[in-house]
Amino acid sequence: MGKQLITLTVNGDSHEIAIQSHHTLLDVLRNELGLTGTKRGCTAGSCGACTVNGDAGEAICSCLSLAIEWDGRSVTTIEGVQEGSELHPVQDAFLEFGAVQCGFCTPGLIMTTKALLDVNSSPSEDEINEALAGAFCRCTGHIKVKKAVRKAVEMLRDRAAGNAG
Amino acid sequence: MHLPQFEYIRAKNLADGLAVLAEYGADAKVMSGGSDLLINMKYRLDTPKVLVSMNGVSELKTVEETADGGLRIGAGCQLTDLVANPAISERFPVLRDAMSAVGSRHIRNIATPGGNLCLETRCWYTNQSENWRMTREGCFKTDLEACHVIKTANRCHAINSSDTAPALMVLDASVVLASHAGQREVALIDFYRDDGVDHTVVKPDELLTAVLIPGSDRRSIFAKLAQRVGLDFAVGTFAASIRGSNDAPDSVCLVLNSVSAAPKALAESEKILIESGLTDEAIEAAAIAARKALGELTNLFTPSGFKRRLVKTLIRNALHELRDKVN
Repeated sequence: MGKQLITLTVNGDSHEIAIQSHHTLLDVLRNELGLTGTKRGCTAGSCGACTVNGDAGEAICSCLSLAIEWDGRSVTTIEGVQEGSELHPVQDAFLEFGAVQCGFCTPGLIMTTKALLDVNSSPSEDEINEALAGAFCRCTGHIKVKKAVRKAVEMLRDRAAGNAG
Repeated sequence: MHLPQFEYIRAKNLADGLAVLAEYGADAKVMSGGSDLLINMKYRLDTPKVLVSMNGVSELKTVEETADGGLRIGAGCQLTDLVANPAISERFPVLRDAMSAVGSRHIRNIATPGGNLCLETRCWYTNQSENWRMTREGCFKTDLEACHVIKTANRCHAINSSDTAPALMVLDASVVLASHAGQREVALIDFYRDDGVDHTVVKPDELLTAVLIPGSDRRSIFAKLAQRVGLDFAVGTFAASIRGSNDAPDSVCLVLNSVSAAPKALAESEKILIESGLTDEAIEAAAIAARKALGELTNLFTPSGFKRRLVKTLIRNALHELRDKVN
């Protein structure tokens, strides 16, 4: 069970990484690439702290995905959300509402929110709840998080309107 | 937790995957989404030598409409895609409801119907860390002829927590099991065994490739109760379907899950409803008959007394709702 070489695109940068079959995507992001923004939480798909966005922008738990299955694919992590020197509107909204206490779950919550808003620019309350159910914050009680998500929806809408105008 | 070591084989197509399964048999485990299997491997509940990934097999990822108005759903489709599939929502809303109840969105983005139907059974005694288990005796699931949850048991009572199984069963669904040697169709009602260790009829060299749902003029409903609604395994699920009018139904199908090692068809309750129709009194009697039919119960997450009361309430509420449904 030697190492195998995979090509993984992370945040637009292509990497050739030697991995073993039992390494998860989370292991590789944190241990091989040093991208420690993605957190190791429950490692069993319950907490969502390890959420990254897959090729189609979907939210997935990187702890439940084998790195070897990501050969030739691309992934976005919290480190790749910022746009140049500007924070992404979702990040700005989380800051504005202080939707953070200890901060451990924040990268996962932001990646989860981004996955939702990338495909749904005006989510209903139920859609927000459904999308965020897999990302767990043990400090804030999710009230501020949901305020931030709604604010991010507005910010993205204003930005889209600005671009159109 | 980290994964144990294993040899990884990625099936190029279905024939390739089945050939690998024929070669390795019980040493191999099939993985699609991996959202259940990988967790069990992290807990060292499962340590296969070979892991066969079916994620590259396009034959398992199709949804086809069949001539009788039914559907053939590939076992390797992602649940998120199926929940959003209009053919499923329009024809079988009960299945959409059950699929959207599985795990969280994160899980459904990788999980598959094949995986959910073959979901490993769970029990509070065994589904613990390896260290926890090492300090205690083994059980039917591991290396001992014993059950620590129901002391008098002569078999494993670990619970089947599949959300899609009861919904598919009330739709008369069957599954296709393929192997290197050929394939067979098994009605879902005959698919499960009431034994937590060996809980399906799938042989080591077989793969569940598709779910077949016949066209249906039934009205149906799915209900799930879980501690954390957005993610958890259920403490009780119930699905029901009815053909004909509420007063004089031609056929009633009721299935309960997450209370025993196999989904439970409620024959006695069905009989009551067919004889009396969905009146308040008959629904109450059917719910009580279901509670009586439970037999020995494990206290997974909740005391078994709570579970019996839960079953009665779950069934009563769902049947009242079914009565008012138009599809």
